[in-house]
Amino acid sequence: MNTTIDRVSPEAAVLALDGELDASNFRELIATGTGLYADGVRRLVLELSDLAYMSSSGIVALHSLALIFRGQQPPDPEAGWAAIHAVSADTAEGTRADQVRLVAPTAAVESVLERTGLGRILPVFGDRDAALAG
Amino acid sequence: MTSPATLRIEADVDRLKDVRQFVREIAPTLGADEVAVRDLVQAVDEWVTNVVVHGYRGAGGPIEIELLRAGDEIVARVRDAAPAFDPATAPAFDPDLPLDQRPAGRMGIHLIRELCDRFEHRVPAGGGNETAIVRSTTRIPSRTGGNG
Repeated sequence: MNTTIDRVSPEAAVLALDGELDASNFRELIATGTGLYADGVRRLVLELSDLAYMSSSGIVALHSLALIFRGQQPPDPEAGWAAIHAVSADTAEGTRADQVRLVAPTAAVESVLERTGLGRILPVFGDRDAALAG
Repeated sequence: MTSPATLRIEADVDRLKDVRQFVREIAPTLGADEVAVRDLVQAVDEWVTNVVVHGYRGAGGPIEIELLRAGDEIVARVRDAAPAFDPATAPAFDPDLPLDQRPAGRMGIHLIRELCDRFEHRVPAGGGNETAIVRSTTRIPSRTGGNG
């Protein structure tokens, strides 16, 4: 998978993902997003129109980034795969996560987002300008 | 029943792309339509990932993937030599959980259950695991999990 970073402002970045996101590369996506957050980015737009495939490992990456960009500790991908994370229930905030935004997923990726429920947690936009503006 | 096409790999997440390519190439020749191919690619990828990451715990080991047609179904059979693990014992995943309450994994088996008609497991006489991911060549699987 190729990742292209477009730092559109000090607070916002667009990450364009090209290829396939799976268990071999999902940690790289988490690391890239974590680096951007550490550098001051507070809105991360993931451009998915060239992402042909995403496995549940990719869902783990998006889940982690959503928590990081909300200023929370991400799940540990090593221990976390099997672990159940006991977390406090802050349901009011817990249901919303609009710092990480998704743009134009392909049908295959949209199907995974839907089946795992993440498409109902992370907002999905038709194009990057709408995602940056909204 | 056709004679199966077979791919043998060493357990490694870097081989997952080869597993997907194998299913993408073979499944259409067995009569799977576009959606069935997509579902099978994902289901097999999710299960092989599970074997590599959880079964062998990253330590490596052999994995064999067979694809064949039986009646109006495609059967993807995956064999490994990892400790026995029946995916039917995996806890259910609730896709409606909010972000803070979601486990960091568990979604692979949930997806397989959603994407195929049957997901069977047995422990062969010599040990390890043999799973069968079975999907209709054309029909969308009926949802039996109650959360799909």
